[in-house]
Amino acid sequence: MKDKIQTPPTFYTRLFRWFCKEDIYDELQGDLDEEFLFNTQKLGHKKARRLYQREVIKMVRPSIIKSLNTQQLPNNHTAMFKNYTLVALRNLGRNKLFSSINIIGLAISMVVGLIAIAFITEMNSYDDFHEHGSRIYRVVNTRTPLNETSDEYATTSVLTGRRLVNDFAGFEAVAPIYRGLSGDMTQGEVTITQRGIYTSNDFFKVFSFPLISGNPATALSDPYSVVLTEETAMKLYGKTDVVGEVIEYSNGDQLKVTGVAKNPPFHSHIQFDAIGSLETLITKNSTTVTSWGNMWSSYVYVLLPEGAKPENYQASLDQLAAEENAKVNHFQVAMGFEYLSDIVPGNGKYNQMYTIMPRKNVESIAILALIVVLSACFNYTNLSIARSVKRGKEVGVRKVVGARKTHLFSQFIVEAIFVAILALVIAILLFQVVRPGFLTLNPYMDRTTRLELTPVMYLYFFGFSLTIGFLAGCVPAMLMSKLKPVSILKGISTIKSSRRLDMRKVLIGLQFTLSMGFAVLVTLASKQYKFALSYDLGFDTENVLNVNVQGNDTELLKAAFLKVPEIKGVSTASMVPSTGSTNSDYARYKDPMDSTTAYTIDIDTEYLSNMGHELLVGENFRKGETKDKIIINELMAERLKIGSPAEALGQPLYYYDQSWTIIGVVRNFHHGTVNNKVEPFAFTSGRQNHSNLNLKLVSGDITSTMSKLEAAWKEVDPLHDFSATFYDDQIERTYSDISASVKTFGMLAGIAICISILGLLGMAVYTTESRLKELTIRKVLGATVSNLVLLLSKGFMPLFIISAAIAIPAAYLMFQRTIVKYAVYKINVGIWELSGGALLVIGIAFLTIGSQAAKAAKMNPAKNLRDQ
Amino acid sequence: MKGTYLGEFQELVLLTILVLAENAYGVTIQDELGSRTGRNISRGALHTALTRLDEKGFITSEYGGATAERGGRRKRFYKVTNQGTKALEESKTLRDQLWSEVPKVALGKS
Repeated sequence: MKDKIQTPPTFYTRLFRWFCKEDIYDELQGDLDEEFLFNTQKLGHKKARRLYQREVIKMVRPSIIKSLNTQQLPNNHTAMFKNYTLVALRNLGRNKLFSSINIIGLAISMVVGLIAIAFITEMNSYDDFHEHGSRIYRVVNTRTPLNETSDEYATTSVLTGRRLVNDFAGFEAVAPIYRGLSGDMTQGEVTITQRGIYTSNDFFKVFSFPLISGNPATALSDPYSVVLTEETAMKLYGKTDVVGEVIEYSNGDQLKVTGVAKNPPFHSHIQFDAIGSLETLITKNSTTVTSWGNMWSSYVYVLLPEGAKPENYQASLDQLAAEENAKVNHFQVAMGFEYLSDIVPGNGKYNQMYTIMPRKNVESIAILALIVVLSACFNYTNLSIARSVKRGKEVGVRKVVGARKTHLFSQFIVEAIFVAILALVIAILLFQVVRPGFLTLNPYMDRTTRLELTPVMYLYFFGFSLTIGFLAGCVPAMLMSKLKPVSILKGISTIKSSRRLDMRKVLIGLQFTLSMGFAVLVTLASKQYKFALSYDLGFDTENVLNVNVQGNDTELLKAAFLKVPEIKGVSTASMVPSTGSTNSDYARYKDPMDSTTAYTIDIDTEYLSNMGHELLVGENFRKGETKDKIIINELMAERLKIGSPAEALGQPLYYYDQSWTIIGVVRNFHHGTVNNKVEPFAFTSGRQNHSNLNLKLVSGDITSTMSKLEAAWKEVDPLHDFSATFYDDQIERTYSDISASVKTFGMLAGIAICISILGLLGMAVYTTESRLKELTIRKVLGATVSNLVLLLSKGFMPLFIISAAIAIPAAYLMFQRTIVKYAVYKINVGIWELSGGALLVIGIAFLTIGSQAAKAAKMNPAKNLRDQ
Repeated sequence: MKGTYLGEFQELVLLTILVLAENAYGVTIQDELGSRTGRNISRGALHTALTRLDEKGFITSEYGGATAERGGRRKRFYKVTNQGTKALEESKTLRDQLWSEVPKVALGKS
């Protein structure tokens, strides 16, 4: 009895069992046991155990332990791989419907994935051409005006840049940049319009913008010197060898060319056509340019020494800010460093130098792509599981012949990857088709993104499709490799477990939730878009062409345009209301304590009638007598408690640092977007320059009218191009963010619906095929076609209802949170707006199921039952 | 030739198998070797040596004699082949030859 208790240590026995080769295990374990028993009797249990342990440990040697591979099997991986590919191909060929559903579904969603990859890679590649990129930081400001909340700005005062150089040690180079060398440059006969920057010599030390001629150490030392880009030089002179030439700048400055730089790369957040020396600005206007408060259009970039950490320089910034803040009292500025590669994609700072893709957009594209791609993976998983019944026999036979679980697993993974790579080929073709559409999705895109396919990108794509293949093939491969040969070969029906059916339903449900969600979102977004466009502004925008005056004399232009017979009326104004920009000041009536923000534009005498504003009482501006006259809207009279429109006439008003006399009251109208309320508004005349000309056209042949207008423009200004936009188009552009959402969600809805319908089609085909006999017998016994269709569709109904129940509230929430987050005027969301999209999806789904069921039900029963 | 070279430990194992005659299997070889040499020989090391000898064709083996104390597992009995005996003899001849030619003086000194 005692012997039985005295067993060798279990753990070591197990360990030995685990690592010992199969064929020698019996012999060695036997010997170990015998030795152990002998030792127990001779040396005692404890000692025997210790010896046993030592023996096992010493067994760890190459001649005994298993090799990591399944070394007992012949090494025929390549052959099996070939076989898997062959079988995969045969399977694709045999089930053309399933295969095309799989491949097309994956390809469609892969396009979204490819776009996301290309887009994110591109955004992350911004500014990585700078040699010292890892040491470049931008100084950014947080400005807190007195009694108001603070805002973050990408801009910093020029003063900061100058003081960092003069008063603080340790920076390798400091480059202040002042935006605004924009305007015309003239050389002899040639005049071009360009956008440039002012900066100092350190600019070339910090950044890698190489000069092809000129000395970077001195090019920007003197005032009135300028470095041109190759492109600008070519435009002006037709050659790049132009150092020493003199250019006339539109403000009258004579600029001397001291260098020619290479064009800045597209993927640079700093863009310029010309670089002027910052000294030019400082010589002309030292106090404004270098004041602490002037931080609206200048940037400071610093190059830190090798190995230096920005935190160590924060103290310098804090000290500088504290010293300067002490000298002012209506605002405070705090400064910090921003790493060069964090600038793009942007994190929402104001006053960026150039259009910058917000990080939010990059993230949302990544998330949406992930959703779509996963949904397509579900599809593959779903269809593969559905087909596992048919593939079961193959699995059984393979297992009986000697395939292991890992072999079968890799077979199905190889098959999935094969499908994914086929899909990738289609997706890359589709990508080329979709690309232009994506680039024009919103105004940010075409200015910041190119989506060019580089070899690296193809590598990423390939890796992506491998991942997709693996993800999609993982679950079916696992399920299939687990099948037990005995149960498969005995009878197929046994593997139809209910658990797997449930999983399929969950997957399909998820897809439909997404489809319905996007569909509902599109409906809501497009309704809101149409609502915003057709919103009654209270004045007339139809057939109004807005012309950019571009600094010309408005009277000359008016006279020229009035000669064109298709023009009904001409008026001018300081800006175009209802397109996003506003201009405002506090206005007050007699009570000095009661003021209100009032918006304004400056107009000429024809504006009110030309734009269809309704003057309720009073009169219009008269030529020459406009100096202190003002026309207000009803709301302003009400808000300032002046009284009724009639009472307001002749009353004084204090606005823009002067007093005005009210000469008229117009009906309320909308000067902003649907994101603002109707607010107090006042028209003045002759206070500001007019930059916009409104042409009221008679409707008719637009093309011929436009060419006549262009000819009229050329008479006045032969230099600049005629630039005009229809008012309605301008309003449309104002709402481009909503239209971008409509387009994005529209595309996603399309893709999601495509994918889920494809998946459903596969499921429907499978269901009808596997229940064909049942259906036929039912038919023989007297069921009608509609009975059968109902029978097959019935199972999907609860699925759709649950999907809709999740999708509709989620979509509504998303609509409220994103698209109309800031809108004051928005659509009334009714039952149809909400359920319309979902019903559409359900309708398409039932058509899909129904068509399959009807096909099966209409077949000749004799045909299906003959072989029984 | 590397294939037929007989290492010291392998030579001892071969001889022990010959000594044990009909009863040469894992445990007995291990015990016999251990008691004769006074060395602590692990079963793992023995296995490696046996595998090498088997590869060289110096021993063969057959299964037999499962006992209760072995948990019902069979013993693997080893036998030295003719080739193995020949290799042992060659090794012995070589040593004898060398011994015979060692000068008496040298031996006396040591």
